[in-house]
Amino acid sequence: MRNSFNNIDIKLEEFEALIKLAAEMAKLLYPFIRQILQSRDDLIRNPNAWNEFKNRYIELISERFNTNSMKVKRLLDPNSNDEVFNKIILTLALCVSEDGYLKLRTTLLNY
Amino acid sequence: MLQNKFLFNQSSVSLEIIGLPDYSNNENKDYISIISQWKLIIIDKPVIEGNLDHLKSIMKAFYSYSVSLLNDENAIYKSNLIDIIPENFYTHTLLLKSSKPEVKPLIIRIGNSVLSDIINCFDQLGSSNNVKNIYQKEFTSLKNKNYLNLLDKKNISNFLLPPLISLFSIFVVSTAFIYVYEGIDNNDNRSLLKTKNKLISIQSTDKLL
Repeated sequence: MRNSFNNIDIKLEEFEALIKLAAEMAKLLYPFIRQILQSRDDLIRNPNAWNEFKNRYIELISERFNTNSMKVKRLLDPNSNDEVFNKIILTLALCVSEDGYLKLRTTLLNY
Repeated sequence: MLQNKFLFNQSSVSLEIIGLPDYSNNENKDYISIISQWKLIIIDKPVIEGNLDHLKSIMKAFYSYSVSLLNDENAIYKSNLIDIIPENFYTHTLLLKSSKPEVKPLIIRIGNSVLSDIINCFDQLGSSNNVKNIYQKEFTSLKNKNYLNLLDKKNISNFLLPPLISLFSIFVVSTAFIYVYEGIDNNDNRSLLKTKNKLISIQSTDKLL
């Protein structure tokens, strides 16, 4: 899916390190993550945070992912990507505890 | 006797734990190992409270529900005390049933932000050094879930089928080559084989002598 020619598989240590990094960042950014979730819960009255997040995420996907791929096209489809983006944000929001990286790891391995 | 009280806060939710230390185990006076009461306070919603068994079942309900929600499973959770039903991806309905027969069930609708706050309060309680850890089982079973997946029939077949197919194909190809192979019947080769056999027989007679 990525717009890259690097086909080297990620090592287990690198995978673990990335998960820890993501969980630690989620801890720091929890107020913003919660604000985005709250905005999606009440989209009619408070759509700003969700729309900003969604637009930026779509921008990043368009920049870095292979937009010819069907999976990426589905991600960019505005009619169906809300659920996927919401799930990503909710996963991060549920992984901000001390053992958050274990939760994130389990979720990703079960994905 | 004075009871200890600890509060775990996360944005719009706070969890209050009231209880006592177990003095028979010489525990610290600031510790709680016997939970007598708890309260889950959500802003703009009724207070949820109960005893230790209620807390355990509510924690189990929220953890199971959140895991099945993230794993795209059927996220409905039903038990004697609490039902959690998703209305859509963004709203969840809690149906809290009282253990007292005359009390009507309480319905509370929450969004994903409140759901994550509640789970984070429970996580804080689980990792707190001041309260006895009452709920580890669910999380350890979550960690083991991945290993259990390896035992699934589907995974076993996915794991074993490719090497078996490759071995079988090698066997089929090699047997086909055996039938295609024609022995070289040149006279030179025959004479070579004869001299080789003679040499072997001479060596064996030498050994016998």
